[in-house]
Amino acid sequence: MQQWLRRWWQRRLPPLSQIRLSQRQVFIVPTVTGAAFAVALLLMLLVAINYQNSLAYALAFLLGSLGLLTALHTWRNLAGLELQARTPEPCFVGEQAQFAVQLPGGAYRRPGIALGWRMPLAVQTDVDTSRDVLVKLYLPASQRGWLRAPRLRVETRFPLGIWVAWSQPDLNMRVLVYPRPLEAGLPLAAAHSDDQREDGLLEMRHGVDDYQGLESWQLGDSLRRIDWKAWSRGQGLWVKQFNELQGSDTLLDYDGLQGDSEYRLSVLCFHVLRLDAESRPYLLRLPDRLLGPDSGAGHRDACLVALALFGKEPE
Amino acid sequence: MSSSPLLHAIPRNALLWLLIAQALVIAPHLFHIPPWIAGLWLFCALWRVQVYRSRWSLPRAIVKLAMMVSAAFAVYVSRGSLVGLDAGVALLITAFTLKLVELRSRRDALVLVFLGFFAVVTGYLYDDSLLAALYSLLPVAALLTAWAGLQQAAGSRQSPRISLGLSLRLLGQAIPLALLLFVFFPRLEPLWSLPQPAEKGRTGLSGQMSPGDIAELSQSTELAFRATFDGEIPAKNQLYWRALTLPLFDGRSWRMASFGTDLLPGQWRKQGASQAYSVIMQPSRQPWLFSLDISESTQADVRMLGDFRLQRNRPVARTYLYQAEAWPQAVAEPLLSAAGRRHNLQLPRPGNPRTREWARQLREQYADDRQLVAAMLAHFNQQPYHYTLKPPLLGENSIDEFMFDTRRGFCEHYSSAMTFALRVAGIPARVVTGYQGGEINTAGNYVQVRQMDAHAWVEYWLPGSGWQRADPTFQVAPERIELGLQDALGDEVAALDNSLFSPVRYRHVAWLNKLRMGWENLNHGWQSKVLGYQRERQHAWLRQLFGEVNWQRIGIGMVAAMALLLGLLALFIIRPWQQRPAPAQRLLQDYDRLMRRRRLARSPQEGMQSHAQRIASQLDALQLQALEDFVTVYQQLQYSGDGNLQQARYALRQLWRSMSPRYLRKR
Repeated sequence: MQQWLRRWWQRRLPPLSQIRLSQRQVFIVPTVTGAAFAVALLLMLLVAINYQNSLAYALAFLLGSLGLLTALHTWRNLAGLELQARTPEPCFVGEQAQFAVQLPGGAYRRPGIALGWRMPLAVQTDVDTSRDVLVKLYLPASQRGWLRAPRLRVETRFPLGIWVAWSQPDLNMRVLVYPRPLEAGLPLAAAHSDDQREDGLLEMRHGVDDYQGLESWQLGDSLRRIDWKAWSRGQGLWVKQFNELQGSDTLLDYDGLQGDSEYRLSVLCFHVLRLDAESRPYLLRLPDRLLGPDSGAGHRDACLVALALFGKEPE
Repeated sequence: MSSSPLLHAIPRNALLWLLIAQALVIAPHLFHIPPWIAGLWLFCALWRVQVYRSRWSLPRAIVKLAMMVSAAFAVYVSRGSLVGLDAGVALLITAFTLKLVELRSRRDALVLVFLGFFAVVTGYLYDDSLLAALYSLLPVAALLTAWAGLQQAAGSRQSPRISLGLSLRLLGQAIPLALLLFVFFPRLEPLWSLPQPAEKGRTGLSGQMSPGDIAELSQSTELAFRATFDGEIPAKNQLYWRALTLPLFDGRSWRMASFGTDLLPGQWRKQGASQAYSVIMQPSRQPWLFSLDISESTQADVRMLGDFRLQRNRPVARTYLYQAEAWPQAVAEPLLSAAGRRHNLQLPRPGNPRTREWARQLREQYADDRQLVAAMLAHFNQQPYHYTLKPPLLGENSIDEFMFDTRRGFCEHYSSAMTFALRVAGIPARVVTGYQGGEINTAGNYVQVRQMDAHAWVEYWLPGSGWQRADPTFQVAPERIELGLQDALGDEVAALDNSLFSPVRYRHVAWLNKLRMGWENLNHGWQSKVLGYQRERQHAWLRQLFGEVNWQRIGIGMVAAMALLLGLLALFIIRPWQQRPAPAQRLLQDYDRLMRRRRLARSPQEGMQSHAQRIASQLDALQLQALEDFVTVYQQLQYSGDGNLQQARYALRQLWRSMSPRYLRKR
């Protein structure tokens, strides 16, 4: 049954990152409030019949027509609404993944648009004509890899809450979840040392091979590279620049770690972030690939992606 | 925001409108609920406002219970009961008021709104006049506004006017559909009987007549009924509206025949022309109706009784409309039964010797009944009788004193004396009460009869000819019959009618009178077209429309008409032609509009790129930059699909600015 329903939705509202809810994609049903209102109207009608009072008839009919008519308003409030998925920022396991949906302002105001993954809906907003509304929705990221957002539920009860118009568009939103960074000691190995030492801790090898020259010290530069001799001569703080050789880069090696794969990926993740913060070049070796050596945001992201998707089916 | 929206706090805007709506709902009820409820409302409203301002807190359950019980007790003390319509409405309004101090969530507020609508409906049971109906639109609109306000987010600082505009728009759009339902929804018979609003001293004819009764009635300008004629309105002196006959006399009062003696319709023969008319009667709390001699009605709940009056099968508790047809020349009861004869000759044994003597003398003088009646009428005409609303008080032999001593009286004195004398002379006779004349509204072709038109006259019986009408008052004061009470009594009525604002008082001011007539006309239409639109009227109307009343067909037709109307409304509300195009398309439209204004219009087959190149020579550096920016972003958006809409809009705004007249002037 559920399977069938999902397929039906898939046909009705195929996943699209930009969607305008068409007439066939908006559904409308009465709410609990609507049912209560109907009962109240019935009572009024009973009074009208039993007292043969024309005005009571008139009021019951007026309110009844009004109730019926608000269905049109409710429907109009949702039909034609545009939803645009924004590319979400990746996050780490254990965080709340943020999905942003943009609702562009249209030809008329749409008050009381509610969005969320499931009932009760998390966000209610008015969509004005003049500006776009950005709605942020969250999902807990519990697993690394791609987190696909479920179908969104978007509904409105405007103007009186007698009817609810709703739809379940799939904005094709997914966010990449990186492993949770886990602080732990790391057996470091230089890439070139073929005779990897089993006992783990190697003395760190900084790239010291090719001395390039001096640059003035800036916050964030490693203290180890300061030209202390120059400083002692009173020439100020200078940092020695090296062109690091491939052989001397830090290697983050999956196989060099112990424990289950999630643990190893988490530790690797932590060190990728640490090394990146220290702006040091590094290599990442996973059983199926080798990344780097390199440094900078691009390299870091490539590593994180590799960690997140390690062992996962490509999408 | 983890609970159902119904449990959210009430927005400020909605609370404000709820308080306004409550005041508007309760105000008209103050005429019939105990006045302390108004004080209770003020107290509860203050409390709720203080709660909103976080000064006070809502009462605890035990306090609420105590308030409810004591309020119910107070209603019981004020009304003497907790059942019946009056007490029920008082309880409803009390609950409506007390609900204010347990108003936490939107669900509570919704209950309050629904109670409010119900309170408006119960208000109609007390007053369904045109003004009351118009007024009730105010509380209804306020309740709807509060309801619409409830849908806003809790912190919303939206202006209260926005919800008001919305609710008024909704009301306006609902009217056509409501009209359709009003006309075609079948009017059912009451499903069960319900308590009626208690009566508070309604004036009107009663089942008995003592000296002074009708004179008292004559001081009221209250409306009794309106009669609309299909043809021409008969002359005023023909408008004798029969309500009751009073055959029983105890020496002072005339009373109706005891129940059950006249249940079968009297024998009568139609003769001459007939006249159809319809009457819209104000509630009288009495079952008898008003009819011209001699009328029959085809209405199911109306029948003719033995004395030719029309009677409904239950009291007229609300404005009631009935149709009848009168045969002025009909012969009524050509043969009188022995019992009927005895009835209409009955006299109390002692008393009024002088009148008895006078009648006997007349009998000796005139053997013929007709001549005798004529002589009696001549007596009233020729002797110095005086028609007055303030006759002197009469003692034991009231008829004697009136006939020969005071000679001042109102219609009940004349009719009573003449009936008495006729019976002494051996002619069966009875007093008939009802209304005489009325104000003819030429614009609306109807007659408007007020309580002050109440009248009593005489009916006597002749063998073969049946019952005949005689009006001694006409002999004394013909202007009473021909013109009306006010012309007959002039100053006396003005003095008696102590209400300064009584509309009738100013009937000699022409424009005021015209205004009043217009207003009466409106009310007449309201009563006949709206309030009187019950089962009979509906059937008559539907027959006129469809030939026959076939509910199955009408039902289908109604659903079809409703669907059609809803479809039209859907077109009007949704306006598919206004549904805007896709954003990129909109940008292009805006761009084209700008270029048209600057006389640089793009031709239909021209691409944006080539257009930009073509007009480049006419732009300055800044404009060119803006144009290039926009074209680039737009094309990204249009063709690669990964463009940024906001960026494109921004670029277009920059372009507009660079080509604005202000900028151009500066340059």
